[in-house]
Amino acid sequence: MSDSDDLNASAEDGGWRNVGAEAFASRSDVLKRAAAAGGAVVAGGLLIAGLPKVAASARSQEQDVRILNYLLRLEYVMAAFYETAAAEGQLTGEIQQFVSVVGEHERKHIALLLGILGDDADPEPSVDFGPGTSSPSEVGATAHMLEETASAAYIGQGANLTKGVMIDAARITSVEARHAAWIADILQRDPAPAPADPAKSPKQVSAALRRAGVSISD
Amino acid sequence: MSDLTLEELDQDGAIQEGIAGLYGHSRADFLRKAVVGGGVLMAALSVPPRVEGAASSDVRIFQFALNFEYLQSTFYTETERLGTIAKMAARKALWARTLGAHERAHVAIIKKVLGPAAGKRPFFNFRGNTESEDRFTRTAVAMEDLTTALLTGLTPKLKDQGLTAAAFSLMTVEARHAAWARHLVGVLPVASAFDEPKSLNGVDRIVASTRFISTLRPRTTTSRNPRFTG
Repeated sequence: MSDSDDLNASAEDGGWRNVGAEAFASRSDVLKRAAAAGGAVVAGGLLIAGLPKVAASARSQEQDVRILNYLLRLEYVMAAFYETAAAEGQLTGEIQQFVSVVGEHERKHIALLLGILGDDADPEPSVDFGPGTSSPSEVGATAHMLEETASAAYIGQGANLTKGVMIDAARITSVEARHAAWIADILQRDPAPAPADPAKSPKQVSAALRRAGVSISD
Repeated sequence: MSDLTLEELDQDGAIQEGIAGLYGHSRADFLRKAVVGGGVLMAALSVPPRVEGAASSDVRIFQFALNFEYLQSTFYTETERLGTIAKMAARKALWARTLGAHERAHVAIIKKVLGPAAGKRPFFNFRGNTESEDRFTRTAVAMEDLTTALLTGLTPKLKDQGLTAAAFSLMTVEARHAAWARHLVGVLPVASAFDEPKSLNGVDRIVASTRFISTLRPRTTTSRNPRFTG
């Protein structure tokens, strides 16, 4: 199986500068590699062939479907995390409240995205969190990583969506950022580290999850 | 850091942090001014997009956003200057100072985006809300939630893709401020699974009702009795 690791390993750093004409070149490059890998780009990761980089690509409904499926996949990962964390994390106090409230939010995000995608929605992946759900401190750290990553993923793709669905993405984006700030404050970390939040490209998002020991498979 | 040679950064220190999160723009000419060389962080830097040539509705949206950032930054700066923040507990003071620094950076960023289309800072009267910690905090919570709703509503209305991307980057910061503020005062930081957008006019009405801004909207006096000045 040639999974997204191949793509990530050879990826140029970051997607932030890959804008305009460069982005299209990069995008076709991704597609070429996808073809070389037998088209199995999605397996084991988040990457979906033809996903645009950050704020880079001409909008279309076809592209909306790819982006929304990528975001749906992230939401599935988070919802699965909170479900497992609630069951296994031996949580008490505010972290327990966080997991319960935020888990419910992610499920509502999934419902909204499924409603938009209809028959175009990809199936729910299976996710393994390694030790990430085993204790309150692991749960806190993994939750913080997931929420920061999700927020950056939405920022990275929001402007690529057509206007009709961008409104719904925006309503979710700010909520993911609120989640990130909340868990950061619980952990006594910085709830708002910068005046403008950075975006993450799909590759960066995929790499962040992998570094945290999160593995995703179909 | 000697390769951090963006002339914009040298000119205006306030932008330095703010610009870091703003990523590229669909128009390649903005990249010309991006940092060359440097590490991963430096590679991420680029100057904010500009409204030059953008739709007039985009310009109007950013002008409104600038007034709103003026309002917020002045609010935090005045509270700091009056010594209200210095009296707070450490973690709360950190929150108040961070928000002030961010809102001042937002002013700098949006002014740069607007270029010559940027308006001047209006006059403000915060009516005592910068002097008491309690009133300051309650106003800040409301203001940050309102800004989040404003940017959630305005961002999808922008036509230019680069400006839209920049607005997403600012929107999430306001959402973080709001969640942080709410957490500090002991209310749920995320009240709902979705942030409900507010329209520009809706926010304008709310801001007007606070009477914090004296000159955002010059009033006609024809249907009004002269103000008692004695």
